[in-house]
Amino acid sequence: MIGLLHHILLRAAERAPEKTALRCNGQALSYGDWLRRSSALASALRAQGVQRGDRVGILLNKSLETPVAVYGIWMAGAAYVPLDPLAPVARLGFAVQDARVTHLVTHEPKRAAAATLAAAHGVTRVIGLAPGDDLSAEALRWADVPAGAAPAPKIALGPDDLAYVMYTSGSTGTPKGLMHTHASGLAYARLSAELYDVQSSDVLSNHSPLHFDMSTFDYFTGPLCGATTVIIPEPVTKFPASLSKLIQDERMTIWYSVTTALVQLVLRGALPQRDLSALRWILYGGEPYPPSALRELQALVPGARVSNVYGPAEVNQCTYYHVPALGAEVADDDSVPIGQIWAESEGLLLDPDDRETPPGEIGELVVRTPTMMRGYWNRPDLNARAFFSRRGRGQTEDVFYRTGDLMRVDAHGRLRFCGRKDRQIKTRGYRVELDEVESALALHPAVGEVAAYPTSDGEGSLLIGAAVIVRAGQSLNESELKTDVARRLPPYAVPNTIRFLADFPRTGTGKIDRRALAEQSATATQGAVEQTPTATWVGRVTQPEE
Amino acid sequence: MSVKNTVREFITRDLLMDPAMALGDSDELLLSGLVDSLGAMRLVAHLETAYGIKVPAEDVLLEHFESIDAVAAYLGRRGID
Repeated sequence: MIGLLHHILLRAAERAPEKTALRCNGQALSYGDWLRRSSALASALRAQGVQRGDRVGILLNKSLETPVAVYGIWMAGAAYVPLDPLAPVARLGFAVQDARVTHLVTHEPKRAAAATLAAAHGVTRVIGLAPGDDLSAEALRWADVPAGAAPAPKIALGPDDLAYVMYTSGSTGTPKGLMHTHASGLAYARLSAELYDVQSSDVLSNHSPLHFDMSTFDYFTGPLCGATTVIIPEPVTKFPASLSKLIQDERMTIWYSVTTALVQLVLRGALPQRDLSALRWILYGGEPYPPSALRELQALVPGARVSNVYGPAEVNQCTYYHVPALGAEVADDDSVPIGQIWAESEGLLLDPDDRETPPGEIGELVVRTPTMMRGYWNRPDLNARAFFSRRGRGQTEDVFYRTGDLMRVDAHGRLRFCGRKDRQIKTRGYRVELDEVESALALHPAVGEVAAYPTSDGEGSLLIGAAVIVRAGQSLNESELKTDVARRLPPYAVPNTIRFLADFPRTGTGKIDRRALAEQSATATQGAVEQTPTATWVGRVTQPEE
Repeated sequence: MSVKNTVREFITRDLLMDPAMALGDSDELLLSGLVDSLGAMRLVAHLETAYGIKVPAEDVLLEHFESIDAVAAYLGRRGID
């Protein structure tokens, strides 16, 4: 009986101990060895003092140790906090302090960042590093995690215990931690396994990093079905032709990634030279897929079904849409439907007064699903606004998550995406609050006013643009400001272009007109405006003292 | 300027916007997060323009672009040194 997430591994190792569970960079791990390594890690964590409900950080480049850490932390009774190995250490420090992480699982390539987290952010014990003078925390090398240790300690965990806390961009200027439980994680594994008919013969593509919710398909659903997961190293994900070669050589059967990765594979992946005949299902999510690009993908990989996956990380997934072969009848400027609410779940479209919208009209999607998070870590203010409650029959209460996504139901009963309620955007698969980008830019002492807005990347996704008014008497250029903000934001949230203006376009009430700024920016990219700076458009601004 | 220095200058000045950065010939450009996927594609586009070559999609592989050494070796095979 599987009642907790780590039971997934216990059962898989019992059924098929010799089966290859994981592959990464030419290395492999069987289910039996995975369980042994995770159990040993759990014992080491308990010996270091980890208790039920503690949050343990994972700071690893993608490697076999990543899933070993996930299951080992659960077996120790704790929840994992995935830390982006490419994010600036100040941002990691925020998550570590916010979640009160004192134990960290890492490896030598991340030594410098781990040392900073120990010196300045409260980490006291580290697994995966040799002790050293540069490290204020007590350290245990991977090689010294006792092998063949006793079975994982028995801890009285229940389905409502915390399983992971995932940080995502927050509109108030700091990231927020989503709390998922064993129940919500397991519900996702079960529902996704059924929906996509995942079998033990399947080979899954772990394209997403651990701090991305899509990784739960590879690390929860895959082992639930006894499948093999191929962990794709970060550098490979940046080279579409290398990526397509790996899909071919590993004979991957189910692909799951953000839309951008697939768009890049079609554009630059040399797909006609690859044999992708093993691929039976392509899942994409995170952003709309332009129909013209999707048609190309279907033509290049004719043997694979394609499905659109939708769901904010707060619920992981909540709808499905199996894309039919897109013919010429689907216009290029049309959109692919979000589709249907998935099993055991309910969706409503609400107007601003929380009343259900009439059929066919646009409303905010709210969803009730067993995959829903418990709430945001330590943020009662956000939790008060994140949910919609409806009295059920009898003594029950139905709790829905407010997605912030505006949708309508089309003539075929399928949900269609119509935009956001707020200023959250997706940039090449990454979820970013533009308010957070503005807050980060505004921290530079020379920045007076700032506005961030989406710009097109020309391939169906968005990049971030920003405009800045420099304080009187100060000087600042694009490179200085980007370097500064890169210390606070992950690389994907750093604006791609920063313009320096003497003033902003304003609305009638004096607010910054960000829409006009975005339009100016689009015009500038097409024309030659930026090569011929005018009084308001200059690459570098030094304002005279007043 | 040598191929390696041309490539180094493009990466530090145009991609990383940090011309003063000391970037070694064998430094990993990707695992460190120095260059993201957009940057990798910009580097390819820059080499095509700078050296008047076409880099076919099947050549845009990690092993050709993981370091300055790797880029120089690839360009060398394309007859540029």
